[in-house]
Amino acid sequence: MSEHNHEHHISTAKQLWLVGGALIFLTILTVVVSNLGLPSPLDIIAALTIAFVKAYLVASFFMGLYWDSKFNAMLLVGALVFFFLMVSVTLLDTLYRVDAVPSF
Amino acid sequence: MANHSATHPAHVQHHFVDSDQQFESAKLGMWVFLVNEILFFGGLFCAYIVFRAWYPELFTQAALELNKLWGGVNTIVLIGSSLTVAMAIRSAQKNQTKGLRINLLITIALACVFMVIKYFEYEHKLHLGIAPGSFWNPTPEILHELSDPRANIFFGIYYMMTGVHGLHVLVGIGLMIWLYIRAGKGHFNSEYYTPVEITGLYWHLVDLIWIFLFPLLYLIE
Amino acid sequence: MAVAETKNLTTLQVKRFKPSDNPTNTYLTDEKGLWAWMTTVDHKKIGLMYLGAVAFFFALAGFLALALRTELWTPAKTFIEADTYNQLFTLHGAMMVFFVLVPSIPAALGNFVLPMQLGAKDVAFPRLNLASFYIYVFGAIFTFISLANNGFDTGWTFYTPYSSDANSAGVIWVTLGVFILGFSSILTGTNFITTIHKLRAPGITWGRLPLNIWALYATSIIQVLATPVLAITILLLSMENIMDIGIFDPALGGDPVLYQHFFWFYSHPAVYIMIVPGFGIISEVITTFSKKHIFGYWAIALSSLAIAFIGFLVWGHHMFTSGQSSVATTVFSFLTFLVGIPTGIKILNWVATLYKGSIDMKTPMLYVFVFLFLFTIGGFTGITLGALSVDIHLHDTYYVVAHFHYVMMGGTLMALLAGLHYWWPKMTGKMYNETLGRISAVLIFIGFNTTFLPQFVMGAQGMPRRYYNYIDQFTIFHQTSTIGSYILGVAFLIILYNLMKSLINGEKAPANPWNSRGLEWQATSPPDFHNFDHTPVIIHGPYDYHQPMEEFQLGLAVSHNGHGDHHEVTTDETEKA
Repeated sequence: MSEHNHEHHISTAKQLWLVGGALIFLTILTVVVSNLGLPSPLDIIAALTIAFVKAYLVASFFMGLYWDSKFNAMLLVGALVFFFLMVSVTLLDTLYRVDAVPSF
Repeated sequence: MANHSATHPAHVQHHFVDSDQQFESAKLGMWVFLVNEILFFGGLFCAYIVFRAWYPELFTQAALELNKLWGGVNTIVLIGSSLTVAMAIRSAQKNQTKGLRINLLITIALACVFMVIKYFEYEHKLHLGIAPGSFWNPTPEILHELSDPRANIFFGIYYMMTGVHGLHVLVGIGLMIWLYIRAGKGHFNSEYYTPVEITGLYWHLVDLIWIFLFPLLYLIE
Repeated sequence: MAVAETKNLTTLQVKRFKPSDNPTNTYLTDEKGLWAWMTTVDHKKIGLMYLGAVAFFFALAGFLALALRTELWTPAKTFIEADTYNQLFTLHGAMMVFFVLVPSIPAALGNFVLPMQLGAKDVAFPRLNLASFYIYVFGAIFTFISLANNGFDTGWTFYTPYSSDANSAGVIWVTLGVFILGFSSILTGTNFITTIHKLRAPGITWGRLPLNIWALYATSIIQVLATPVLAITILLLSMENIMDIGIFDPALGGDPVLYQHFFWFYSHPAVYIMIVPGFGIISEVITTFSKKHIFGYWAIALSSLAIAFIGFLVWGHHMFTSGQSSVATTVFSFLTFLVGIPTGIKILNWVATLYKGSIDMKTPMLYVFVFLFLFTIGGFTGITLGALSVDIHLHDTYYVVAHFHYVMMGGTLMALLAGLHYWWPKMTGKMYNETLGRISAVLIFIGFNTTFLPQFVMGAQGMPRRYYNYIDQFTIFHQTSTIGSYILGVAFLIILYNLMKSLINGEKAPANPWNSRGLEWQATSPPDFHNFDHTPVIIHGPYDYHQPMEEFQLGLAVSHNGHGDHHEVTTDETEKA
């Protein structure tokens, strides 16, 4: 296996612990930020930014995308792209309705 | 591995040329499945976004009923379990069966802790009558806090999202137990640890979903 | 870079393997008995089992269609009650969509052909493949349970709030059935994507993939991206039914139009799940029977992907009259026109392929011509419906019914029939009667147009779909349509008879009865359990009809690790034995 060009990446324990530590730090950070009581769009932006950083860490290092075939990373990004398409096109309707739910 | 074309290792299925092809196929297949999972949860996130855009004040009000502390603890528990799964894969890659089993065991334990905390969160809410749909029957104090008549929409989404996520955690626990048993039989080594790797991918995705659920449900207020 | 390139080249020893015309050992004789079939992981047998199941549901749903058409013979009641009528058209639609059209080409024919066209022994995950079949059966059982529980009369779209209020038990069962069925589709898609990426035989580069594979690839992508959204939608609908969580219920602050968004986010791409694999079959058949290289290989290949992508952004054209915002309707109408472009590219390329080809009017080719006529009509009327202002008038009329039957039946089913007749000798090792085959194709063309052309006219005149009664002025159209449906029924019986008869006393099929250059034809008919008795090596594209046949019958001389990312085989490096 060792001489094969498809050698699997083995992360060091230190790497993994570092990433885990960073994730826990970010979790605490996001709770702290939410307690600051930032004004409306800012708090959402802050929370989501931290969430995306965490997601990046998990996907890159725990899931190994950093070393893996780029196609697998593309699948993940592609899934997110289609999710955003779904949301944004749906919002084209729901945000621009004259009366969101007329009967209510 | 390079020139082993004549001898097929036992773990390689008949239709694969070699171990590498099998491993890469399994991993690609898992990633395609994860795309599925993302869009599956994507529907729920979409519903969340649509209703949040319509009723922002409802969401800030209702989110107060969720306990940030326990949500945060659960986040850390899940992150910890992701770490141990990654460690488990590392152990398998390095032929350390004992380390593999210990890490799997810790992962199972952490996943169970997550579910127990989730259970107490649910239990508390159901006790206050904050139940989904037709079981919606909040106590007067809660009704006072949740003055918005559409509060059940938020909790409908909350229960669906956390419920479906919890179901994934349960499935994950099942898979980990299966891996633990197989690891005990010595099925995994540095040449063949595909099930550990792809279960790990699944588990990290469950973690990823929660990383977004936590701020969206608990923190945004 | 030169160094890197030489490193990526693998020298392969190849020799010629001419498939025997009289195989002694085939996948059909490999293992016998019911149990062996039920537990098989062989993609060919699973494909046949799917084919059987799909044929069963097609017969059932077709029978329902005949009942519906018979009921519509007179303006008032003919022989069934209005409530039964509502249930029958719902069942007809749901079965045709979820049990027939979605799995028909990918899971039945695709399962059989895909690994063979890739030169693989099987799909990447054979056990998941079998699981997908049983999940399909399991989902079907739920539908039958639903029938025993009052049935369902919501239409196949299960629109809320009707589906979450009225008659819950039946709706819950059938939606759970559809939920389960979705997983079968997801597993097939996942399997195909992985197989296409990882299990190609040496020499099959992306530029040498048969167009059928490109089409199945695009289909699988849609299946993987869209089906989970259906699953979650159906789950939400079930929760709505079971405990009124209110997300789709306007009385609780929810939004029924959101249900339609979710539903069509799956179901519009789903129509491409149905039609795109059909495109693949057309490309295969049209080259084989024109004996000519496909015109515009990359245009056809990439337009499948383009359809898959744009197909995700047009779902709102099903909701022009649902009360969605006018911003959304305008955008959706515009995007809908865009889908016409890649589809038009395909039609143009197919017709150009015919140009100066030596066209052989065998049965599969006849079905291709039927397809070209019917699908083009279906496509153009789709553009009409996609125009916002026109759709306000035509929405929910028989015009829509005629349109999607032209696309789904005139498109998908004709492609399926073309493929079925094309690969039948490969699947069964038997030749069917060519004359009967041609008669059935012509009858289907006549019957189809008699059934559905009048529906365009009465739809444009305002006859609404799904109605039990109608006013007298539509009688002539309805009766013509009913007569046409009986012609169709007869034609399908002839097909069934012809194919079944070939099984009993059909001529033995040679390995390559159509002289095709496709890889699947370089195996015996029916193929060996492992498809090929050697690992095939490909040095030409699947449509190189200007190349001699022996260059298509190359296989590895010695077993060699030729799979992986980098199997470049060049002609000068191959040796012919």
